[in-house]
Amino acid sequence: MTVVILSCIAVLMALGLYLAAMVARAGAEPGRFAGEGAALPGWAGFFALGGVALTGIDLPAHLALVARFGLQASHLAVGFVLAALALLLVQKRLWLAAHVAGTGSPGEALAQHYGSVTLRVVMLTLAALFALPYAATILGGTATRLVEVAGGAVPRSVAVWLLAFGLFLPAVIGGWRATVLITAVEALLLAVVFAAVAGVAHRVAGPGFPEAALPVAADVLADRIPGVVQYSAGLGKEVAQGGPFTTLAIISGALALVGLVLSPGVLYLGMTLRAGRGLAFGTVWVLAGLVAGLLLVLGPVLAGALAQGPAALMDRLAGVELFAGAGLGLLLVGAGMLATGFLVTSGTLLIVRELVVPFVLPGVSARAGRLTARVALAMAFALMAALASFSPLSAAVFGSLALPLSVQLFPALLGLAFVRWISRSAVLTGLILGCLMVFFTEPPGLILFEGLFLDLPWGRWPLTIHSAGWGLALNLGAVLLVSIFTRAGAERLHRDRLHDEFAARWRTDFGGRGARGAIWSLSVIWAFFALGPGAILGNTFFSQPIFAGGEAVLGIPSLWVWQLLVWLLGVPLVWWLAYRVRLGMTQDDGLRPLNAGAAGRRARRAPAWIAAGLARVTER
Amino acid sequence: MQAEDPDARLDRHALVLAVWMPVGFGALALFHHGFGAGGVIWLAGGFGALLAGFGAHVIVNAVLGTGFTPREVALGLFLTLLALLALVVATLLVEGFAERYFLALTAGLAALGAAVVLYMIIRHGPRRAFEAFDVARQNNRRPANLLPHRGGRK
Repeated sequence: MTVVILSCIAVLMALGLYLAAMVARAGAEPGRFAGEGAALPGWAGFFALGGVALTGIDLPAHLALVARFGLQASHLAVGFVLAALALLLVQKRLWLAAHVAGTGSPGEALAQHYGSVTLRVVMLTLAALFALPYAATILGGTATRLVEVAGGAVPRSVAVWLLAFGLFLPAVIGGWRATVLITAVEALLLAVVFAAVAGVAHRVAGPGFPEAALPVAADVLADRIPGVVQYSAGLGKEVAQGGPFTTLAIISGALALVGLVLSPGVLYLGMTLRAGRGLAFGTVWVLAGLVAGLLLVLGPVLAGALAQGPAALMDRLAGVELFAGAGLGLLLVGAGMLATGFLVTSGTLLIVRELVVPFVLPGVSARAGRLTARVALAMAFALMAALASFSPLSAAVFGSLALPLSVQLFPALLGLAFVRWISRSAVLTGLILGCLMVFFTEPPGLILFEGLFLDLPWGRWPLTIHSAGWGLALNLGAVLLVSIFTRAGAERLHRDRLHDEFAARWRTDFGGRGARGAIWSLSVIWAFFALGPGAILGNTFFSQPIFAGGEAVLGIPSLWVWQLLVWLLGVPLVWWLAYRVRLGMTQDDGLRPLNAGAAGRRARRAPAWIAAGLARVTER
Repeated sequence: MQAEDPDARLDRHALVLAVWMPVGFGALALFHHGFGAGGVIWLAGGFGALLAGFGAHVIVNAVLGTGFTPREVALGLFLTLLALLALVVATLLVEGFAERYFLALTAGLAALGAAVVLYMIIRHGPRRAFEAFDVARQNNRRPANLLPHRGGRK
């Protein structure tokens, strides 16, 4: 079976190489290598979005989490509906900003809108976090699984470098367009394989979930959420009773998923799409529908079958059908490859496009810019592979910051998209406080502080609240507070120009005041019952109905039914925003360029510290 | 009718690949299981997967306003002929193959052929679908032959 699995992975790599070669042969201008002026097809956008969402959470790690903590961990997947709502709120306006204000990437859009270089630096730092430690953690896990699949025939570090090289080649040949197309093609394959393998595993691995409870440890609740909140000091300090995924952990964990879809790479993907309904289809049917559905319906089934370890299940599947075992291997390894390839390439190209070419090598020709991007890709893949093979612990520690830090940009993005009174100082204050909060509720801050000074009384995710939730709560609070005093600041006029353009030509029509109130009320109510404290009702809502006075024999856990119900109710909400309110639809008729203004021009100028640093090196 | 823009051609090609990759993998697994322990019902599943892939390919063509490219037609014909050849060789050389699989495989290949014919009739109409194969009738190479009033078919 090993040969078949390795052949499947080789075919996947060959497919990537083939598509990249086709893109390169199409003879696009060198400037388009990093995505400049790319008008990617809608289908590639929505499949790639789904693929990155499904694999960007580190799919095998998620399944392992579900196998360990049961349905309480699986409940996190409902968060993809919330992520779809959040993405809809910002992505269309970001796309419009790209075409109206001429900002080609998310960092540039924020920097120009707020007239702030710091926001560009934050966005690029995030891109680097996703491209290096976060991707290295995923690749490291993938290499470990590949070694398992190969029966130990290949050392882990060799597997890491082989995979990294296999992912580097298509990226360096075809650039951004090839990366998106490859991600889209592979995403559809992996989704189908996921569904098929879960179905076969359920038949082969004996009576598993949902007939039997997930095989979790004795002190973990397999099919219940362990409370609304637990007054626990956090992971590493205190063990939460019944498991760590309380409702507050779930809703704050869902914010981390929002961080994934608001990551620089995914936002850039949305900005380089062609006008059309791609965003609507991607958020409604792919992200909220397919991805959340696969993880909620089939995730626990596959996780239960995987409880004995991937190698054991692979052998059992192969005993029935060789390609079923190979499919599992392909899923576990391919998912990691897809996420790693996308994250490293998008992060690197963003850094080249936003930092290196405009500020470090200003005035460079398009051809030289492409060469720069290729060199940067080589360095990024090498650095990421080095992290994955030689320093997996550091990669995991720093990678843990990526998702919660990413969601801290939500207020800034919301300010660009809708809320014109959110000022630069409010965004920056919120960002600083939010990032500090995340830093000190995740391993890097805890390790650093406890190593240098004294033990902190809290661990990771205190009170069972994910660091994304801690950070965003403080961030939003600060943004609201500071905006009260700075909303009429000097730079307001500059921000208003983009919002005036939105209001004049791209007005969002909710369908009247009643409809606007209805959609936001329904969204809040849905979030309360789907992810928030109301989700605790799902523990017994269907097995011990409130007024029945007895127990209903469902044969499946009540919480699972609740999860499926709130998922099914969440998709129409996303549909409403995407199609009825048209937040998922873009069109290029009537786009007119907007002058950047003085603040915008300032944001495009090389920051003094970069210019001075370069001058020190180059002018001697 | 093919897209002229190289980017559009490439995007369509990638979408076709996206359709056929999972279908191909699924069909491979179903055929493998069918020829092993599964039996003819799994072979039928394999042909069903191929038909689903063909249907999805037709939908892609319809949505993008394109048709099958000459390379796709050539690849499809080559694979079909290869399958037919393999069927004949296996029937002649492998003991017990004909009793077990011949009917199912022939029915499956016939279903694929029927799907192609049906597609051509729906897309081009019976007359133009037939003319696509009627090479012998196009034996007058003079350009005037193509004029409508001279009986030209273009």
